[in-house]
Amino acid sequence: MRAAAWVELVSLSILLINMYTVHIDAITSTCGPVHGCAYLIVVILTLNRTTLPVRTRLLALIPGVGGVLVLRRIS
Amino acid sequence: MTKLLLSLHVLAAIIAIGPVTVAASMFPAVARRSGVGERLHLLHRICRVYGVVGVAVPVFGLATANSLGVLGDAWLLTSMALTAAAALILGLLIIPGQTRALAGQTVTRLGMVTGVFNLLWATVTVLMIVRPGSTTGA
Repeated sequence: MRAAAWVELVSLSILLINMYTVHIDAITSTCGPVHGCAYLIVVILTLNRTTLPVRTRLLALIPGVGGVLVLRRIS
Repeated sequence: MTKLLLSLHVLAAIIAIGPVTVAASMFPAVARRSGVGERLHLLHRICRVYGVVGVAVPVFGLATANSLGVLGDAWLLTSMALTAAAALILGLLIIPGQTRALAGQTVTRLGMVTGVFNLLWATVTVLMIVRPGSTTGA
């Protein structure tokens, strides 16, 4: 969960930085799916934890920072 | 870039979906033979963890299809629908069924549902190889 949350944030940052600067196609097409995977894994893992409050679980749906926000709430 | 994405897609399919199909098929038999124990918990854990890792398969698959320009092809759309069905069966029937079995409740039809799940994956794999209607060769 911790790893997926950070991968989600870092990969989105790389994607956005790439988009606004050099725009290398290779970075876009590799980081895109990596970010997608990390996002979905964070969402699935968080929504599965029925012991967490609903607001915390919904936080995971926020793209990019959702995972890290959930981690902050849990700890 | 397509080659890299396709490699990751196939690798994810082998590493993630393989263990889930084997562990899910073994689960009902082990539950019958030796009841709730360490082995059953391990099989359930494999299904749960690798099921989540399996998210990588459709994600990289979509990226590959996008870079190949085949996103609208009938064989691909059929595969996507079957994959979605398999994912729903795993998430809504198999994993909760296993959890109930681990809690000591009697679970019916878990073996059958698992069989359907495996059959769906087999169909998707064949579709990926045969690609009916595709012009990019066998």
